[in-house]
Amino acid sequence: MPLTAQDWLAKIRALPLQRRVRIMNVCGGHERSITMAGLRGALPKNIELIPGPGCPVCVCPEEDVYQAIQLALQEKVILAAFGDMLRVPVNVGKGEVRSLEQAKALGADVRPIASPREAVKLAQENPDRAVVFFAAGFETTSAPVAAMLLEGVPDNLSVLLSGRLTWPAVALLLESETPGFDALVAPGHVATIMGPEEWRFVVQQHGIPTAVAGFTPVSLLAAMYSTLRQLIEAKPFLDNCYPELARPGGNPAAQAQLKQAMRVTDANWRGIGVIPNSGFFLNPAFAAHDARLRFPSQDDASRKRAGEMPPGCDCARVVLGKIYPNECKLYGRACTPRNPIGPCMVSDEGACRIWWAGGVREPVEAA
Amino acid sequence: MCLGIPMQIAAIDGFNARCAAKGVERDVSLFLMQGEPLAAGDFVMVHVGYAIQKMSEQEARSAWELYDEMLAAEAGGA
Repeated sequence: MPLTAQDWLAKIRALPLQRRVRIMNVCGGHERSITMAGLRGALPKNIELIPGPGCPVCVCPEEDVYQAIQLALQEKVILAAFGDMLRVPVNVGKGEVRSLEQAKALGADVRPIASPREAVKLAQENPDRAVVFFAAGFETTSAPVAAMLLEGVPDNLSVLLSGRLTWPAVALLLESETPGFDALVAPGHVATIMGPEEWRFVVQQHGIPTAVAGFTPVSLLAAMYSTLRQLIEAKPFLDNCYPELARPGGNPAAQAQLKQAMRVTDANWRGIGVIPNSGFFLNPAFAAHDARLRFPSQDDASRKRAGEMPPGCDCARVVLGKIYPNECKLYGRACTPRNPIGPCMVSDEGACRIWWAGGVREPVEAA
Repeated sequence: MCLGIPMQIAAIDGFNARCAAKGVERDVSLFLMQGEPLAAGDFVMVHVGYAIQKMSEQEARSAWELYDEMLAAEAGGA
């Protein structure tokens, strides 16, 4: 019989764990499962589960959101974006349009979509209009965007790409003086595409126990148990608790397509800054479909200095796992899913939104 | 967006597959699955409309159960 979640919890509780251990996850899907299954409350008190950089919408550069808004308003394109992006606010003066949702309310043609294929369909159905697909996401979204481009897209479709790689943000944390975690649960679907080996550096260069996990409580608890045992035995290694999907080497076809369509360069993360080798940009072969080249007048370099989180919003520290969502002064007070201030409360993958949905209502003082 | 949905392939036409999950049918791209032989009846993990990996029926069912529980929890908690 395979072990149940209760079995794994019992095994974790039986571990001789003397000190506080902080286990970080870097995936909104993981954080959702952890929160909805109530794993924090079920684990021993000295095990802390830290939501880290796992929300691509939250770190999408402010200048890119601003550019998408301007493309919709000024260039009158059909602006297609994942639904999560529509309410992400930019920092503008009073009276100016601060989100794609507001642009839509003013008559801009903004369409929420759930798949790159819907962007292609929009372009096919509107041959006389320019269609821009504003694509923010990690490897799991960037690979489908690459596939879309390689399969062939109509001339009137271009992509405003804000693709990001997951591991460089973890590397940034590990190279800082205060990484803030003792063990890592690595993202199962990123590893499905890129291969679990991508996370080996965490173990080899930093000695941090690591396990790739899927999204069920069983897989997550198995990964946590693995990292805890690695810590106790002082023998860190890269474990894989999602072997059926996260296979050795990942999905080679997806990686080949990413490489063909995109190159990896330094990229800006909202509220965090530039992280080396962390962004996907379209290859020159796809210049005709690159919205950054097609609409250069809307690429406002001065916005890059503005690229902070909204005033008073602590999303940047939430994303980096420096504070818990309810340690932000705005959480549950000025910032709720109904009236979100920061992107972490907007996106379904944002830790603030997930915690709120999970019933966390009480703000707490930061430690 | 990293939330993958397991789906079962009903029919394949080139890189396009008609897939189903819990009674809901969708067209799914198999473009990222080149090199992995797939047939009707197989289960795949689907991300933003693209299959990213083949999976077993058992793995698919445990993920579906999880989503049912999460949706129920959110409907109760929101």
